Amino acid sequence: MSLIPFGFWAASGAGGGGASYDLLETTTLATSASSVTFSSLDTLAAGYAHLQIRAVIKTDRAGNLDNLIGRLNGDTGSNYSRHYLYGDGSSVGSASSTPVDRMYMGRLPGDRTADSFSPTIIDILDFSSSAKNTTLRTLNGNLDGTDATEIYFTGNAWFDTDPVTSIELYGNSSNLVSGSRFSLYGIKGA
Amino acid sequence: MATPTYDLLESVTLATAASSVTFSSIDQSYGDLILVAEGELNPSANADFGLIFNSSTSGYSMVDMMGNGSATESQSEGNTYADCGTYLYANTGARQIVTVNIMDYAATDKHKSFLARNSSSGTSGRVWAVAGRWANTAAITTVKVEPSSGSLANGMTFNLYGVAK
Repeated sequence: MSLIPFGFWAASGAGGGGASYDLLETTTLATSASSVTFSSLDTLAAGYAHLQIRAVIKTDRAGNLDNLIGRLNGDTGSNYSRHYLYGDGSSVGSASSTPVDRMYMGRLPGDRTADSFSPTIIDILDFSSSAKNTTLRTLNGNLDGTDATEIYFTGNAWFDTDPVTSIELYGNSSNLVSGSRFSLYGIKGA
Repeated sequence: MATPTYDLLESVTLATAASSVTFSSIDQSYGDLILVAEGELNPSANADFGLIFNSSTSGYSMVDMMGNGSATESQSEGNTYADCGTYLYANTGARQIVTVNIMDYAATDKHKSFLARNSSSGTSGRVWAVAGRWANTAAITTVKVEPSSGSLANGMTFNLYGVAK
């Protein structure tokens, strides 16, 4: 039985034996930036079946909560969908939007709570396949201490069968602040 | 070049019931910690699966979403520990699996955040997802697992992993 630590659900699996779950690249922002992009995945992540991004994220959006947004291969067309389940401290809800021109992947606290970064784990499945659309799932927490804490479980699809060669992550009309950290891992398949 | 990661740091299997389990002197060279626990609690009431970082009993806030097979619920709370989901007293004898991702635990420039999943089996089973924050910029060097009531049962297992960044 394989115990590859696949995704946040199966991150409860065994240690993965090192060779099955590898750190590919980490970006920790020393200064604010409009976005973070992992690129050249066709070479950087060659030989892996799936990708995982583990991140702690904060933006400088003033006075408002923010959204975590992603795009694949720089595609700005309306070729994405999202479905999500969330808890906001009072109720559990679910909604969807499709087609949309970006992937909404979770929520961020903006600048309202100092030192509060959103924990985020993103799984990108079969990213190098050229035979299927690409699907992603994200578990994310918005830990704003002002008046909103939220947990989001989001599924995204990119309706394109091209292999994923780049992943861009950013906030909504904001900058990612220093200290935000994004680590990309490759997960081996059979 | 790829860097192998996801290393087992410490494993504990309880030979007898215990009030708590503590991982101390945690290696500070990794990016994230993943704690995986499995087994029973011995509660005298509903018991939260609690974590205490660096012996601090202040600054924890959480939000969760829960499903019990017929209803959903979300709560937010502040507490003296990191509440990673509740084990039901009425569900005694069932087992639970808890996975907690503790992000950037060694950083000193941000509050510590975590994502947890908790599934308790049995006739009163529930599943939880939890996001939480410890409002402290100190690096986490110890993690204490302590239920909010009762004890950790004989046979319960705890595995702590480090994930490189």
